[in-house]
Amino acid sequence: MPRLARSEWYDLTRDMNWTLSYVKEEEAWPAELSDGFGLPAEAWWAWDEPYKVTYPEYVHNQYGKDASVYAVNAVVGRSRMYERLDPGWKSAILAHYGVIAVPEYLASLGESRMGRFGRAAAWRNMATFGALDELRHGQIQTYFPYGLLPQEPRADWAHKALHTNEWGVIAARSLFDDMFTANDAVSMAVQLTFTFETGFTNLQFLGMAADAMKVGDVDFGALISSIQTDEARHSQQGEPTIGLLVEHGRADVAQRLVDHMFWRSWRLFALLTGLSMDYYTPLEHRGRSFAEFMREWICKQFLDQFRDFGLEKPWYWDEHFLPELDWYHHALQLGIWYWRPTVWWNPDAGVAPEEREWLERKYPGWNDTFGGYWDVVAANLRAGRPEATLPETFPMICHLCHIPVVAPAGYLAGRLASPRPYVLDRNGRRYVFCSAPCRWVFEQAPRRFQGHTTLIDRFLGGQVQPPTMEGALAYMGLSPEETGQDATGYAWAHAAPHGRTGPRD
Amino acid sequence: MTNASGGRGRRTWSRFGDVRRRPTPYEVVTGGFHYHFRRDPVPFEMDPEWTLNKWYLAHREGSPFQVADWEDFRDPAALTYRDYVALQHDREVYLDALVDRHEESGSAAALDPGWVDTLRTLFVPLRFPLHVLQMTALYVGQMAPSSYITNCAHFQAADELRRIQRIAYWTRVLADAHGEDLARTATARGAWEDGPAWQPLRRALENLLIAYDWGEAFTALNLAVKPALDVLVDEVFGHLAEANGDGFLTELCTEFGRDARRSREWTRALTGYAVEREPALTGVLDGWVATWRPRADRAVEALADLFTTAPRPLTPTEVTTRVHDTHDAFLAAAHGR
Repeated sequence: MPRLARSEWYDLTRDMNWTLSYVKEEEAWPAELSDGFGLPAEAWWAWDEPYKVTYPEYVHNQYGKDASVYAVNAVVGRSRMYERLDPGWKSAILAHYGVIAVPEYLASLGESRMGRFGRAAAWRNMATFGALDELRHGQIQTYFPYGLLPQEPRADWAHKALHTNEWGVIAARSLFDDMFTANDAVSMAVQLTFTFETGFTNLQFLGMAADAMKVGDVDFGALISSIQTDEARHSQQGEPTIGLLVEHGRADVAQRLVDHMFWRSWRLFALLTGLSMDYYTPLEHRGRSFAEFMREWICKQFLDQFRDFGLEKPWYWDEHFLPELDWYHHALQLGIWYWRPTVWWNPDAGVAPEEREWLERKYPGWNDTFGGYWDVVAANLRAGRPEATLPETFPMICHLCHIPVVAPAGYLAGRLASPRPYVLDRNGRRYVFCSAPCRWVFEQAPRRFQGHTTLIDRFLGGQVQPPTMEGALAYMGLSPEETGQDATGYAWAHAAPHGRTGPRD
Repeated sequence: MTNASGGRGRRTWSRFGDVRRRPTPYEVVTGGFHYHFRRDPVPFEMDPEWTLNKWYLAHREGSPFQVADWEDFRDPAALTYRDYVALQHDREVYLDALVDRHEESGSAAALDPGWVDTLRTLFVPLRFPLHVLQMTALYVGQMAPSSYITNCAHFQAADELRRIQRIAYWTRVLADAHGEDLARTATARGAWEDGPAWQPLRRALENLLIAYDWGEAFTALNLAVKPALDVLVDEVFGHLAEANGDGFLTELCTEFGRDARRSREWTRALTGYAVEREPALTGVLDGWVATWRPRADRAVEALADLFTTAPRPLTPTEVTTRVHDTHDAFLAAAHGR
């Protein structure tokens, strides 16, 4: 091996910062692609990545990682592992692939934006590796589901989802475009790498990898844990960026950017991970609940890191965020199961008697609140009236997060003071929001969001034809074979103890 | 075949349509990722007037470099990420061994001091301009209308990083043998910012940074500036190193040439793809080349003076002729003429 240690020559790979002479600074780093927030150009040159890696190290490491992950896939691909998986777990991974695979690839565009418009050479180098990492994640997370296509046509959504107007995909696109695909480099370092990757996905991937191994999904477990090792490296672009903003008196910018994206990330995270952990993962393989996971991992780590910079916890933390840990994803679960034809996976109700005991233990009072709705659903199913458990209308959708408004469920569960959505009248248009923080995010940066429409706006505006449930499903790209069905064929309802509530009239 | 979902299994992604040929593993993980290209009404799920929507509409959808469908373009090397890191893992093992050999033999210390002076002015500052090539390749990647193109550009950017890092390593080795100033940032940055020989190149590259139309950025980088600089560094400078008894840099430059060749191959494939579908694009590409090639030529002419300082020099004409002829041949091939 070459004799010089990395530390002896590494700085010579990262000092390529210079003062422009032939074009203007604002031409080469335009604010829309790289908002310097008023810091002098040379201030950014002090940007120092905590994790160092060289090109030779990168290709040597990644070659080994890819070889081992694809080897697992090759072995598993010849087995009958997938068909033996629990139906709820299948739903969890199909939802994951649809929402995550192509967006991870798109994050490579975000990384290459930082690789071009990042304000220090060291940063641009890290982002170059980041662009490669995300290209890897996009490819590996489409390669694996591609292998499932012969036995699982819904795996097509790993590739197709982002091309559709399925409501969850609109919500995901809205989040990811705001976070990286259509974000500037500096904001992105704070919002994608620090807030989302360090704050959420690192931990989600660790948690899901462990769950996958317990469930026996070696394929997914190997995939996710290998991806996590890349994320752990390139997510560190956020820390020095925040550090420089704070050092140069722009803690206000860092605070606002993090508050904005932490809330938005939480919204999607509750939908995807909340349902997977508390309802889709087979009971015998569940460890901590989603709320416990959030409190022990996300909340604690996030606050520790955030306070290290001298920043405050987001303004909505105590009043809005923490209380939601106990109810928000339960409300989403109810809504998504009810509107199951509008998703590409088969929602698992996850409320068989022993699962309800677990939910009650983890979320005291669950039986009396959310359990009551499931009683009605189960009674209708047992009475042979599945049509009463299917939607005929559409929910109200939030103009910021594009997730249905579930405030009424929060209110009926005694967690919210009002069932009403939050409203904003602005320039002759009325916007509705699921929560105070969603309205706040909108008001902080209306230019990002104001002319955008929700699925419901499009429906009412005549873009969805015919204006029926069937027309809406077609608009969302869901063929009749792809619309979601109950994951277990209602087995849970027939296993439920009879009699708490009668069927709906 | 039926399955748990009650439907029939699929042969391939539905987005690929009713394909007769089974897609290759490369195509399966490369095609159809840019959902946002020509998306109605705007690329991104945000306010239609949001800056980034307008940026992409102006510089990508609004570029004169358009064909009806970019999704049939293929990288001639058909590289997936997995293939790319496997390929470069092998090549870096080779370079590690090359470094080993030269560190063991102490070849850096044995270099002619006159040649080291040439390296100080010609070789050491290279990491600055090559970094701009890396930056611009990443711009082309993020703006390209198809993931088939984006990936080529991203791998090219990584190749630039590779070249810079090997230059940086050897700069440190040279400094250990011949004086710390070789490894000082000021030595490289000073030449880049103020050295007269470097200014035409810096002018060209700073302007390249603001060539925001994606087609122009691709053309200026991959048809004009980079091919000239690649020949100058990988071939002509490599030749100069050989003439001056620097076996390490001779072999290193030959190795860099492999990456440059891959860039030229996908570039030629892309221009051929575009012109075959829209013959009028020949004029568009020629127009951009007519703007950018003279800038690259002026840069090469200015740097050619530095080749005369070596103990065994090349004349400016030898340098510029070699670059010009090779560049001509490439452009002729790229334009299919």
